[in-house]
Order: sequence, then C-alpha cells, then structure tokens
Amino acid sequence: MSVETLQSTFEMHQSMNVEVFYWWCTAIMFMIHAGFLAYEIGASRVKNALTSGMKNILTLSVIIPTFYFFGWWIYNAFPNGLIPIDASAALPWSQSMGPDIQDMGTGIFFAAFALFGATTGSILSGAVIERIRLSAFLILAAILGSAVWILAGAWGWHPSGWLLTKLGYHDVGASGVVHAVAGFFALGVLMNLGARVGKFKDGVAMYIPPHNLPMSLIGLMMIIVGFFGFLGGCIIFNGGDTGWTTIYGNPTNLSAFAFNTLMGFAGGVLGAYMTSREPFWTMSGGLGGIISVAAGLDLYYPGLAFVLAASGGALMPFIGRLVDKLGVDDAVGAVAVHAFCGFYGVVLVGVFCSGYPNVGDLPEISFSGQLLGAVIMALTGFIPGWGISFVLKKMNMLRVPPHVEALGLDLVEIPAKPYPETVPAHVVVENTLEPGQEKQLV
Amino acid sequence: MSSPITTWEGAAAVFTFADSPLGIAISLAAAVGVYLYLNLSIMKHERDAFDKHK
Repeated sequence: MSVETLQSTFEMHQSMNVEVFYWWCTAIMFMIHAGFLAYEIGASRVKNALTSGMKNILTLSVIIPTFYFFGWWIYNAFPNGLIPIDASAALPWSQSMGPDIQDMGTGIFFAAFALFGATTGSILSGAVIERIRLSAFLILAAILGSAVWILAGAWGWHPSGWLLTKLGYHDVGASGVVHAVAGFFALGVLMNLGARVGKFKDGVAMYIPPHNLPMSLIGLMMIIVGFFGFLGGCIIFNGGDTGWTTIYGNPTNLSAFAFNTLMGFAGGVLGAYMTSREPFWTMSGGLGGIISVAAGLDLYYPGLAFVLAASGGALMPFIGRLVDKLGVDDAVGAVAVHAFCGFYGVVLVGVFCSGYPNVGDLPEISFSGQLLGAVIMALTGFIPGWGISFVLKKMNMLRVPPHVEALGLDLVEIPAKPYPETVPAHVVVENTLEPGQEKQLV
Repeated sequence: MSSPITTWEGAAAVFTFADSPLGIAISLAAAVGVYLYLNLSIMKHERDAFDKHK
C-alpha cells in the first residue's frame, strides 16, 4: 500500500471518527429531552400531566425543522453582530444541507446544534406548565430554539463571534449562550404569562406540589446523563494533528471536561442540599452545579470547580424563593437553575480565569469581558422573551382561559388519561383494612 | 426522476432534487407548509376544545 493510500485511508477514518463522535453526542442529548419529559410531567398536577408531556414532545419536533429552515443559517451568518455575512452554504436549499458524500461535517454539526436549540425550548417548557397555550408555547419555543439562542451562539460561541474577538469571551460549556439566554427568555415570558391560579394568596407564594416527585427526580437524573452528550458536543473534534480544541480554538480535551463536569455535578448537589434539604432542589443542584462551572470546564482546577458548583447550587434555592417573592410563578425553578447559574457561570470565569490567553491575537479572558458578555446573554434572552410574549398576551393568545385552567388542560385538550385505572389512595387504604380498623388510624 | 446522479463516481450532493432548484423549492415549501399547518391546527384544536368545555 502506498503512502498516499495510507494517508487517504487515515484521513477518511479520522473524518468518520468525527462523525461517530457527534452522532453519539446527539443521541445522548436526546436523553435531556427524555429527562425534561419525565421532569415536567412529574412536576405538573395530575390534571395537566399529559399536556405537559405533549408540550415537551412537540418542542423537539418544532425546533428541529425550524433550526433547519433558518437556525443553522443564523449561526453562520451573524458572528459580527446584527449584520449578516455570506453564509449561503447554511441555507436550507444549499447543496451542503442534505446528504452529500463529500461532506462529512455539516450534517453532524447541524444535528448537534439543533439539539442544543431543543434544550433551550425545554428549559422554557418547564417554567410555563399548567397555564400556557400549547400554540403560544410552540411559537415561543421555535423562536427561542431556532433564532434567539443561536444568535447569541453566533456572537459568543463561534470562532469568529464578536464577543470573542472584541471581549475575549469564554463560555465553553454554554453557561451563557444556552442556559442564561433560555432562562432569561423564560423569565420574560413568565412576567407576561402570570402565575397559576392559587399560586399566590395575598402576595404570598403557595406550594403547588408536583403530582409525582419521584418521576421528576428521575427526569432530572436523565437530564444529567444527557448533559454528557451536550458537553461532549461543546468540544471540537478536529481532523489532522490538532486534536481536541474548544469552540474558541484553544487546546483542551475530554479529560478536562470529565474532571469538572463530575465535580460540578457533585458540588451542585451538595450545595443545594445544604441550603434546601429538599429533594427537588437537591437534584436540580446537580444541574445548577454543572451550569455554574460549564463556562470554564476546560480551565478550572477540579477542587475549585467543586467549590464554585457548590456555591451555585447553594444559592439556587434562594434565587428560587426570590423569584417567588417577586410574584413570578416559575413552576420548575428554571430561572434559578438556568438564568442565575448560567449568568453566574459566565461571571465566575471572569473572576477566576482572567488573564488566560486566547489563541492568536484575540483578547485574553477578562472580568469585564465576562461580565459584559453575561449581561448581553441575559438581555438577548429576556428582551425577545418578554416582547414576543407581551404581543401574544395582547392578542389573547398566550394563556388558556380560566375555566380551562380550573378543569385541567388534559380533560380539555388531550384525548387520553394519564392514569385511567388509578383509584385515589385513601380508597385503596380503606379497602385493605379490617372493619373498624380505619378508626385506629384517625 | 429525482436522482441528481447517474453514477457514484465523483458524486457529491446525492439527495433527491439536488440538481433541481424547483424540486428543492417545492420540497422545502411543503416542509414549511407542514410546520405552519401544525401551528394553525393546534390553534383550531385549542379554540374548539376551549369552547366545548365552556
């Protein structure tokens, strides 16, 4: 076999490895959505369980095609700001946007980014359960998942994005571009959507218990599994002799991500447990912990990542209570977990990683660059979230009518029952008792 | 009819209508149409369901 043939075979296998890597990252990311599905169904009351699940399933199914229609183009066209550059290869009628036996990159990167976008839709989905119209939600999810976050991604998660080239912005695990953007978008929507009936009495937040907390906890753990696909998809598998790099071009590897993803999870769980003692927040702490350190996964000492994640997890329940006090009904704590921890994670890189160089003559990482970047992420999410939901509200298209909310969305909209054979628990207990025994329980 | 290739030698884009802008345009328009119809049908379903339970 000639040297040329060996070289060609090696390069082909290297390209195939790249494809295989992102293929499985994308597949594992579906676990995020399986997790959100279980999480949100469990967090709903029985009367809204299936509607919450249906909303989650449809989220994926509207974001994937809209991301194909325009999302991928936005990412490639807007690294400089709001003026597009030529990105015709990313338009849906381009030769690159379909099976091309010479192109072993476009489809697999499109898929990974589409799933990142779907994650933003799912972040919104949980916050608004039990009172948003499905139609309004799907419009908002498509805009968030296929336009808003990916615009932020073009700015701050792109090798030529202006946040990198002007500010040295560093956010390898998408704390800002995915979590802060989606969390603040959700906050904007929640402000217009209003609280569920019964959530606030005389201005005091009431606890609306999830109908199946164990299902929510399992769902959260499934999201953590999916995060390994998500974070794997955040690293660039280069051909040639370059090896792994971040999306900003600096060298890194999966080992770096492995250290700090695990330490972030552990720290977040422990931090949230210490300040809440409550299973919902404790499990959410794993998510919040990873998000708190995701922006600097490639740089943190794991001990530091653990402490930072613990601080994010510990603060998260307080942020959740603050959101309650402000009269915002965030049913699953999305603002605390995603908006706060995402923002916090970007700023933490500024605090602890200032002075790290970027490649070439790009500016180094700085506190001011990270802080400004975090604010830009927050505003990029909040402004369209608030603005579009405000328009939908004025058109009476945002929220279900009061009688539907009272009856439950499943009864009105869904031709199925979540637990058709379920008998109320007290009946089951009474049927197992001997005559007169029930009095002993009173 | 929809094949853009007659041989695999030197082929690149092999998807249906890759060499036919009209075919791509119709397929894409249909895809956008399905997406838009989904939104309209959900709105109609909601309106009907909400009215039915008034």
